[in-house]
Amino acid sequence: MSESSAAATPDGGLVLRGLGKTLGGRSIVDGLDLTVAKGELVCLLGPSGCGKTTTLRMVAGFVEPDHGEILIDGRPVTTLPPERRPTAMVFQNYALWPHMTVFGNVAFGLKLRKLSKKEVRDRVGAALELVGLSHHIDSRPAHISGGEQQRVALARALVLEPQVLLLDEPLSNLDAKLRVRVRDEIREIQQRIGITTVLVTHDQDEALSVADRIAVMNTGRIEQLDTPSGLYDEPRTRFVAGFVGTMNFLPGQADGANVRVGGATVPCDELSALADSTRVFGVRPENVVIGSEGAPARVVREVPRGHFREVILTIDGADTDTPVRSYIPVGTPPVSGEVRVRFARAHGYPDESAAAVEAPAPVTSGV
Amino acid sequence: MTRAHRLRALVMASPPVLVAAAFIGMPVVSAVMFTLGYSGGFNSILADIGQHEHLVTGAGGTLGAYRDVLGDPLFRQSLWATVLVTAAATAVVLVLSWGIALYLRLAGGRIGKILAGLAVVPMFIPVVIASYAILEFYSPNGFLRSLFAALGWSNAPVYGYTMVGVTFGQIWVSLPFGVLMMTSGLNAVPDALLEAARDAGATPARAVRAVLVPMAKVPTTITATFTAIGVIGSYTVPYLIGPSAPNMLGPLMTDTFESFNQPQQAEVMAVAIFLISAVIGAFYVRANLRGAKEGKSK
Amino acid sequence: MLGRLARRAGLAAFLTIFALFVVGPLVWLALRAFSGTWQYPHLLPDTWTLKWWTQVLDSADLGSSIRLSLVFAPVVTIVSAIICLPAAYAFARYEFPGRRFLLVALFATNAFPKIGLFLSMAGVFYSLRLMGTFLGVVIVQLLGTLVFMTWLPAAAFSSVPRSLEEAARDAGARPWRVFARVTFPLAAPGILVAMILSFLASFDEAQGTFLVGAPNYVTMPSTMYELVVNYPGQVAAVFSVLLAIPSVLLIALVRKHVMSGRLAEGFQLR
Repeated sequence: MSESSAAATPDGGLVLRGLGKTLGGRSIVDGLDLTVAKGELVCLLGPSGCGKTTTLRMVAGFVEPDHGEILIDGRPVTTLPPERRPTAMVFQNYALWPHMTVFGNVAFGLKLRKLSKKEVRDRVGAALELVGLSHHIDSRPAHISGGEQQRVALARALVLEPQVLLLDEPLSNLDAKLRVRVRDEIREIQQRIGITTVLVTHDQDEALSVADRIAVMNTGRIEQLDTPSGLYDEPRTRFVAGFVGTMNFLPGQADGANVRVGGATVPCDELSALADSTRVFGVRPENVVIGSEGAPARVVREVPRGHFREVILTIDGADTDTPVRSYIPVGTPPVSGEVRVRFARAHGYPDESAAAVEAPAPVTSGV
Repeated sequence: MTRAHRLRALVMASPPVLVAAAFIGMPVVSAVMFTLGYSGGFNSILADIGQHEHLVTGAGGTLGAYRDVLGDPLFRQSLWATVLVTAAATAVVLVLSWGIALYLRLAGGRIGKILAGLAVVPMFIPVVIASYAILEFYSPNGFLRSLFAALGWSNAPVYGYTMVGVTFGQIWVSLPFGVLMMTSGLNAVPDALLEAARDAGATPARAVRAVLVPMAKVPTTITATFTAIGVIGSYTVPYLIGPSAPNMLGPLMTDTFESFNQPQQAEVMAVAIFLISAVIGAFYVRANLRGAKEGKSK
Repeated sequence: MLGRLARRAGLAAFLTIFALFVVGPLVWLALRAFSGTWQYPHLLPDTWTLKWWTQVLDSADLGSSIRLSLVFAPVVTIVSAIICLPAAYAFARYEFPGRRFLLVALFATNAFPKIGLFLSMAGVFYSLRLMGTFLGVVIVQLLGTLVFMTWLPAAAFSSVPRSLEEAARDAGARPWRVFARVTFPLAAPGILVAMILSFLASFDEAQGTFLVGAPNYVTMPSTMYELVVNYPGQVAAVFSVLLAIPSVLLIALVRKHVMSGRLAEGFQLR
């Protein structure tokens, strides 16, 4: 272990360096670098096929990387089989063994380590108490709910006191209300124990709520590694802009402090990520300000969205079919007809065809 | 479901049951009666042509035929041979089926496919032909001896007309079902369950023992019981490949009827085989009901 | 490194022995069918000939037994389908008293050894005047197909999701049409496997057919017993190859379905 790697890896952390994997002729993971500090929760966020699960499975040891290395607490584990790695995984479908009770499932790994019966019982009891399932200690997996099964899977992983906890889409099989509650619980437990964690998900809402940092992945690469607010406020690529949060995309060019969209010129308070190659602008709906000054526009419809209102409008002269969305607070008076808009903030991105993958379109509802 | 519906379903389900009841159930009952000495009805012709019979008139059977058979050293030898061959063949089929299925599951690849493909070949061949082919293969100028003679060993053993050859034949014939059943059974266990075991620290072998073996209990039981029942009552394989005596119970039964002209004693042997099969079958039913119970609670 | 080499060598050895065990006897038999003179301990025939083939194909007896086998098997399969398929559907879709018991009872009919059974069955057949008749042979062969034709199609019907049938009824189809257009097509592969296995069971049925059919109706398998004893080995070999051809062809047809891994479901009691 060289000097530099010892200095680069904080105690108990996870380092992925140049990780790559090709399957069936396709490059699933392509030169991935990531450092997770001890006790940090990093999310791998991206659409299906972006390589996030493969990356997770490479850390766990179920997939052998074609190149690159994995270090845990400074120690290389790339060639170790899964049973010898200090990682523990919570599988997407929980993977509880149906022929064992909850106790049996959680105790399995402990029994392999040849601990005394009393020690096993104590530690299983503690783990189940941590996830709030002590009352189900003798139940069979088939007899408990999905949320409870997930907590058993979590207890099973944590009882082994791993150095790295890996979660593979842990909430995708739960219904919506349960998801919010469970993700908070997972985050709370993770912070209480202070365990280094990698969580894979395709749900940006989930990632934004629990992660310390998020790695947005696309076709095997990390497009941006940043804190949740960093990703939201400063999306560095068009893909990230479209994937995290809602974004209006308008083809156009910078014109001084304005954004020129076709025949319309919209004043803009803050322009970021500008370059000569900028051809597309991303504007968050809350940054589309309807007021007394700016480019003329026409309101198409207003949609009540609960704690805010969504205004759909078209900018006069802008030769684009896509309507622009604006969010306005609930208290403001209703808008209709002719209005004026300006952008509080806009991000510039290169030509659309330069983006490797089309980011999913903004969520439409009732349009 | 209403009562009328249930009745209609029962009627729909009845034809095969009625056919079986008429042409298997009835003969079985009458066979058992015959062994106890009742010579009326369907048994009258058999009673007429047979010798050394223990018959009764009126109620109250006799165990004379049973005493004859159980006291006959030839029967006891044959019973012993049958039990041995059944146990050996079942054990080997289980081991081979598990081995091939496990290899296919964990390693896969071309070799796995070749193994599974080979194991299923016997299904394509009628038992009569297979038995004859196996007999010739292990005969004095068969392949086995020829191969060893070419390699320098001119006195290799002959397995034709021996119980060893019969065992080979039984294994050969029973292998496809076992392999199909075990591959299907092992494939039903999701990968994630094995991975979770390894994630918790189990070596691949330990993961197989802790996860695959318990979860494949039902297919294993099915393989064992079906194979055993098939071998115990078999006729063609031991008849063609085995010695004239002592052979398995199937050929002995036929001999007892055809050569010794003792249909009653032959039926006693059939009842003996049936009882053993029933006990084995009980294991199958019990394993299935337990498996169904565990599955139902989902 | 050595460990891996040893493992590969062991695997190769096992594969070779296993291949010999399974395929060896068949190849040996096939060679015999074409052999003129073959001295021990040669591994191949010394001279090759087709004369045994002409002998078999010219023989009237042998020819008629081939024809008979090819008549009985389809008849038995169709009769079996008519009797068992409705029952299979009932077992799969309906709950009625004694359902499980009847399923097991059907299977249990295989547990009584055939030879012992046939002795008593002879008694029944004599009384019903079925000995030596076409119908008698059909019934005997039919008995061997009952389990295949009930259990496997029952599993096939069970595996058709009810929601598909419900959607059809929701769209206005009457029960019979639902069966014909939705249930049956989806269950067809399993039923096809059952029919092929039944065909082969009937085709290969030797003991019962011999007992009931002789001397009027002698099929190929029954002839086989006689051939082994009374004719030169090469004739038996030729006959064997001929007898094996339909099996090989038919199972090759449904190989994918049989090996698809659904077999275990068919034999589990639900």
